[in-house]
Amino acid sequence: MERILRVNMTSRTATFEPMPEAYRNRAGRWLTSSVVHDEVPATCHPLGPSNKVVFSPGIVTGTASPTSSRISVGGKSPLTGGIKESNAGTGWGRRLARLGIRAIVVEGQPKEKGFWLLKVDVKGATLEPADAWAGKRLSEVYPALFARFGGKAKVDICAIGAAGEFRMAAAGVCFNDQEGRPSRYAGRGGLGAVLGSKGLKAIVVDDTGAKEIPLADKAAFDQGRRKLGAALGEHAITKPKGALNSYGTAVLVNILNEAGGLPTRNFREGRFEGAAKIAGEAIFAGNKERTGAELYNHACSPGCVICCSNTWHRPDGNEHTSCIEYESDWAFGADCGIDNLDHIAELNLLCNDYGLDTIETGGTLAVAADGGLWRFGDGKRAIELLHEIGKGTPLGRILGNGAVVTGRAFGVARVPHVKGQNMPAYEPRAIKGIGMTYAVSTMGADHTSGYTIAPEILGVSGKLDPLNPDKAELARNFQYATGFLDTTGHCLFIAFAILDIASGFEGTVEECNGVLGTTWTMNDVARIGKEVLNLERDFNRRAGFTALDDRLPEFMRVESLPPHNTVWDIADDELDRVFAP
Amino acid sequence: MIDVHLYGKLRRFASNGSPDSDSVVSMPHREGDTVGSVVARLGIPEADLGANLFVDGHYADRRTPVADGARLGLFPDDMQLLYKWYFRPKEEGS
Ligand code: SF4
Repeated sequence: MERILRVNMTSRTATFEPMPEAYRNRAGRWLTSSVVHDEVPATCHPLGPSNKVVFSPGIVTGTASPTSSRISVGGKSPLTGGIKESNAGTGWGRRLARLGIRAIVVEGQPKEKGFWLLKVDVKGATLEPADAWAGKRLSEVYPALFARFGGKAKVDICAIGAAGEFRMAAAGVCFNDQEGRPSRYAGRGGLGAVLGSKGLKAIVVDDTGAKEIPLADKAAFDQGRRKLGAALGEHAITKPKGALNSYGTAVLVNILNEAGGLPTRNFREGRFEGAAKIAGEAIFAGNKERTGAELYNHACSPGCVICCSNTWHRPDGNEHTSCIEYESDWAFGADCGIDNLDHIAELNLLCNDYGLDTIETGGTLAVAADGGLWRFGDGKRAIELLHEIGKGTPLGRILGNGAVVTGRAFGVARVPHVKGQNMPAYEPRAIKGIGMTYAVSTMGADHTSGYTIAPEILGVSGKLDPLNPDKAELARNFQYATGFLDTTGHCLFIAFAILDIASGFEGTVEECNGVLGTTWTMNDVARIGKEVLNLERDFNRRAGFTALDDRLPEFMRVESLPPHNTVWDIADDELDRVFAP
Repeated sequence: MIDVHLYGKLRRFASNGSPDSDSVVSMPHREGDTVGSVVARLGIPEADLGANLFVDGHYADRRTPVADGARLGLFPDDMQLLYKWYFRPKEEGS
């Protein structure tokens, strides 16, 4: 039976409730956003007792479906003040799904100081004091917790680091990868700080003794999963030894650099002279030189067939960090003007250890460099600054609260953000489509909120020329499709394949039908995505957001970006048309 | 002259090809050059070429004209990670 686990941190009780009928078939982002919309007062303080953190695995998470081990985490964001859903790839959500737990809702706030750990297993859920783990680096905490709870074959762990304990707005929620590394983050939006405000340090999930996830229609499920698997196995980007497997997402460093859209030195330029030294190919070559082996990437989570997660090795051949994603590579690399992979790797490792979102943290360092705190390119100094955050010094408290706070503290007008969230690794002045996504996203500047999907696959009304689309309609459909994919539990990267291979997308819908017993078609993709977005937009409206928040920062309209020497010139009413056609 | 920046397995067509630095071929421009004609002159097999092709930072395809002084960026088929629908290709002939 599907249940919701409600964890009240005021009374420190954990109780199971049946899944409400109104939430039938909802999971992943659809469910986290539904609960946040329905239960969290939109005007509440994100770090106060009324906010909640909601965890939900996707519809097919925990089944034999490929690349589907995503966990959605939702709440009101201390970074943006709006709704947030951030997701990560990890075995943690699979175990939750196998226990029949559709969602964990963490609410309330303890009156007394301290941190607690929640243990979830077939017998139930219990809270215990966790002060012993507070203040420690996650690379110490995770091995100790694995040792205590029976090892990584048995449990997966969600935790916050020092940044979350300090309630910093750049704090993410950490999960372990398959090797037990604390390296997979629901990073964006500061939900780690919300957990910190509730005193919840960690959630350990043990699914020993759980049953397989029941399938309402096994034939439909198997057919769907095979179609999706075939698409992933055949597409040049997602297949074994394809682009993601060989080079990881960091292959994008060179591509964005060629496109003139690689934000460099706090979004001053669109090309970075050191791009080739930090790109995916350089990571592959550097690892080969240092380990003597061609290292192909691994799966961050069970059942992923794409396997895009990389590692970086020290000169002596020992592992330094995992994973240097494109966004992290860019944030500490091009955006900070740093062209040294060892420095970037150390900054990445420190974020994993202190519990920080790499995008917000790198973007914040770049703003601070613009404000004169340090020199762009000085990797050693950047590493020192990251330790300031981890230690919670007064300077660290400023930096740990993100780019907007830091921009204010250092008098910087060039803060590339939307709704308080630092922009990720695509320059909107060079790539206008992503600028629209940043502007109107319910999440603040977020590349994943509209990463996917061709309009003709979605079967949207009217005929669109795919090479010359109506930008507003395209941006809207991107967001709907992403809202759907974030609900299935699939990693967004399946979009590369199912975008080009229509049967793969059909398969994704059929799998959901197989689990739920529904009869969804491709038309339901847009319907569900729309419903998710409507919930989120309604929450944000009640939180006080207006169309004026769906804008890019002023400097992008007046400062032109080399090499294209263009400004952001999309009219405001075109942005407003995205959701109000 | 045209500068062609090559990536991934296409780097082998540059004499200075290395995975962690720029691999660039400088070649004379010819009247009427397109991405396709430049690719053919370099001897790059059609099948190796992906959809992430750039002329002066603009998303391009094989028919995109190449002017004297242009910078081309060519990525192979196994590296086309940039989401193509974000771009409007340059008008043909412009
Ligand atoms: S594609 Fe990459 S990020 Fe996505 S689930 Fe697989 S390894 Fe993780």
